[in-house]
Amino acid sequence: MNIPHRIALFFSGRWLPVCLILAVAGFLRIPVERDMETEFKDQGFRDWSPGLSSRDQLTQAAFVGALGGFRSLVASVYHLKAHNAFVKKNWGEVERLRTVTASLQPKFWSYWDLAVWDMAWNAFGYYRGEAERHGDDFEGWRIENIVMPTYLQKGIDFAKRGLEWLPDDYRLLKVIADIYDQKMGNPEKSAEWYLKASRKPDAPSYVYRAYAHQLTFCQGMEEEAYRVNKDLYRNSGEITLTLLRDLERLEEDIVRRAASNMSYEELRAAALAEGAGYLEMASLGTYLLEVSKDLPAAIDIYGKVAVHPGAPSFYRRKLAFVMLKDPKQTGRAYQMLKALALRDPASLRREDIKEIARLESRLGIPKAERLKP
Amino acid sequence: MNQEAQDTAISRRHKVFSALRIWAIARNTFTQLVRMKVFYFMLIFSALIIGANLLFLSFTFEQELKILKDVSFGAMSLFASIFAIVGTALLIPKDIEDRTLYTILTKPVPRIEYLLGKLMGILLLLAVSILLMSLLFFTVLYIRQHGILTEKIASFPRQVSDAQIALFREDIFSRGLQPELLLGVLAVFLKAAVAAAVALFVSTFASSTLFTIIVSLVVYFIGHAQSLALDYYFAEGEMPSAAQRFFAGLIGVVFPNFQLFNVTDGLTAGEVVSASLMARLVGLTAFYLTIYSLVSWLIFAKKEL
Amino acid sequence: MANASPPAVLIEGLTKIFRLPFRKEEVVAVDDLSLEVGAGEVYGLIGPNGSGKSTTMKVLLGLIAPSAGKASIFGLDSADTASRGSVGFLPENPYFYKYLTGSETLAFYGKLCGLSGKQIRRRSEELLELVDLTSARDRRLGGYSKGMLQRIGLAQALVGDPRLVVLDEPTAGVDPAGSRKIRDLVLELKRRGITVILSSHLLEQVQEVCDEVGIIFNGRLVREGKLDDLIAIEDQSEIVLQNASPQLLERIGALVDEEDGAQMLRCGNPRTTLERLFLKAISEGSSQEGEDH
Ligand SMILES: Nc1ncnc2c1ncn2[C@@H]1O[C@H](COP(=O)(O)OP(=O)(O)OP(=O)(O)O)[C@@H](O)[C@H]1O
Ligand SMILES: [Mg+2]
Repeated sequence: MNIPHRIALFFSGRWLPVCLILAVAGFLRIPVERDMETEFKDQGFRDWSPGLSSRDQLTQAAFVGALGGFRSLVASVYHLKAHNAFVKKNWGEVERLRTVTASLQPKFWSYWDLAVWDMAWNAFGYYRGEAERHGDDFEGWRIENIVMPTYLQKGIDFAKRGLEWLPDDYRLLKVIADIYDQKMGNPEKSAEWYLKASRKPDAPSYVYRAYAHQLTFCQGMEEEAYRVNKDLYRNSGEITLTLLRDLERLEEDIVRRAASNMSYEELRAAALAEGAGYLEMASLGTYLLEVSKDLPAAIDIYGKVAVHPGAPSFYRRKLAFVMLKDPKQTGRAYQMLKALALRDPASLRREDIKEIARLESRLGIPKAERLKP
Repeated sequence: MNQEAQDTAISRRHKVFSALRIWAIARNTFTQLVRMKVFYFMLIFSALIIGANLLFLSFTFEQELKILKDVSFGAMSLFASIFAIVGTALLIPKDIEDRTLYTILTKPVPRIEYLLGKLMGILLLLAVSILLMSLLFFTVLYIRQHGILTEKIASFPRQVSDAQIALFREDIFSRGLQPELLLGVLAVFLKAAVAAAVALFVSTFASSTLFTIIVSLVVYFIGHAQSLALDYYFAEGEMPSAAQRFFAGLIGVVFPNFQLFNVTDGLTAGEVVSASLMARLVGLTAFYLTIYSLVSWLIFAKKEL
Repeated sequence: MANASPPAVLIEGLTKIFRLPFRKEEVVAVDDLSLEVGAGEVYGLIGPNGSGKSTTMKVLLGLIAPSAGKASIFGLDSADTASRGSVGFLPENPYFYKYLTGSETLAFYGKLCGLSGKQIRRRSEELLELVDLTSARDRRLGGYSKGMLQRIGLAQALVGDPRLVVLDEPTAGVDPAGSRKIRDLVLELKRRGITVILSSHLLEQVQEVCDEVGIIFNGRLVREGKLDDLIAIEDQSEIVLQNASPQLLERIGALVDEEDGAQMLRCGNPRTTLERLFLKAISEGSSQEGEDH
């Protein structure tokens, strides 16, 4: 009887207006706050709501801390723990802790990248060592064929989950491509992911070049590979050694195929036509060199290729090596190689320098005039 | 003679509201806290961030800078919230317990001015201590990012070109001392200010310091989950029961949303927050301060001392 | 002159009931108390512990709201902050911010009274001199003795140049020399025309300085009046003897008993008249209480 009376007394005093004001203020601010919250989310903030999966993995204290404005700090702590687990080579623990870290701050690229790296490089590398230690026994086989691929897949999975948060981050796409390239030897997949990565706005140019490079290893995609690499050669403005080597390999392939599939007449007609491309000429040269064994004619046509305005620099090297087959032309060939070494060293290979040195001693070039290595 | 008479005769015209009186109380509060040697906390803060700096040298610079920022912002937020709650809770109940309040309120000081003065004093303390902490934080960050750049250049096998150094610098500094960090500092202050206003309100009806601290802390922690409760309230799909919804809505209405102020978690992950959003956060803080001052006054105006 | 302007203090039918939280019982601290203090008077409120002196003062100063009745200062209601513009108050056992020095304390309260910096400097100089704390002005209050705190409290009460000063037990815990100083101070205030209300149990002091006293017991004003009026009791006579032997006193007692209606109330060493009055008032008060029940 007394208690309701007391409650009524309580609210009839100063508390009634206080409760009213608090309630009205609450109704006024909640729409604004919800609005701000969605805007924060749109801007990538407030990205973390403690989904059950990560709450399960967090201890109670960490959970409260994560809520209480220390999420970033808690993530850092978990990062350190993951690092310790890595030092101890406790890969299950590493995986668990990396999951927590990344889900605490999923917008932080580095956490996903570290997770991928720990799985596909560190754990993978560790088990490769284990597999080697076991040799040919069953355990060795098991590790190599079951455990190691699992860790590669875990790495890829981490990257893909990260991409859900950071769909425009080329680095996560690239790291998947890296795994396919470096760990799985799968150039098709690797090329596919490098291409995806290269389309992101701030992807550096080398990502697209990596795509071009991977294409050269893809069976049945030679044409595409040549188109992409040639385009890079013409338009990228930055001609790297890899690009040159790839292009050389691809063109050699094309030329070789042409030389073996076409008749001499067809090749000749194509090579000598008005405005003929250097590839047609090189095809004829290859035919002359390898099928009809007509060295002077081959030297002649390769000479034209070398001065062709569109031809890459490696055709000058090719010319020099073709000329070397003719003992009378050794001197000129040496001069050409030396000039290349001085002016365009990128078009030569490491072993070419040794060849030049051999030529110098054969030709008796005075020490002072010899090429300095 | 006449001059002296004028000087000694004190004007009896009473001002209904005087900013000068509020300022006198605010400054007094600030002085009191300063002389309680609260600023010794700066030693702990320095130890923390310098420790964080020394401990984690072996990581990538990105990680290292992030940890430095995490520890600094975490400590900043912790200290600011503790000062806001404990400072406020210590002052008003203590004034009542010691009956110091009698001497103040028997001067021509309206009770609202006393409350505003106390709140302002706490805000002043928060501003000064956050400023000091961020100054130290920024200095350490500045030194560290330059240190990392030097190390990076030194560890580079080849001679580094100027263009490359510029690239490194850009890469490192973009994760170091950036103007956006100031927004984080502002957010830490705003959150602490709301916490102080909550503690002020609680202390007007609480009977002891301990009670004030406990109730304020509870509000503070629930305030961080307030938006979860509202998510639940607005949840579509499977409907919670009416009682559960009512309870969730009640939490949403009663507790302030502290989670909204956690800008630093995103900033350390390299995200950006728009100026308009920050401006609204400032506006929201002002709203909270106004509301809590108002209800504090309603309770305090009639309080029996 | 006093008729033209409102009295310094007017308390009418003041009742204050404290409700104890979570309990049914109530405490009647002040019960239908009325009093009036004219401008320039010194009024002494005396009564035993727990009789409601402090409560009355708190209502007068707006620290607590009356349950019934009202109080005003120079015509302004106590609930109105403006009424505190001309009051200085010294609470019982005062306690101040111990991190402030003496002069900082006065500066702080001066600012609350709306004084300018120049006025504050002049005023605190003067007051520190007055309460004899000039040498301790730069020491923090944490290191002040009880007497010093009482004196800085007095200075604080006077900083706003009040027309009414309310002192709640100003001499509690102060040594005789200190009490004497405070008494002199009250007389000085009176000389300057400042109204003073003080409460005390130290009767001799009240007797020496007060123009008018009110005796309060169990929240009621049981006696009130000019000191001289209160002291003069028409139906009693006083014989003060020197070197009287017990036999003589016995014989006097027998003589008194013989006369009809005459009664010897008390026999012993003489006391100050006010103390006697005080005790009498209280004994009357409690017998009245007894009848009530
Ligand atoms: N806040 C309060 N709550 C409940 N009761 C109170 C409160 N304040 C005072 N009282 C009671 O009111 C009565 C009067 O107290 P008051 O302090 O006015 O006495 P006093 O005359 O000043 O006594 P003293 O000489 O001891 O200072 C006492 O019985 C006291 O217990
Ligand atoms: Mg008292």
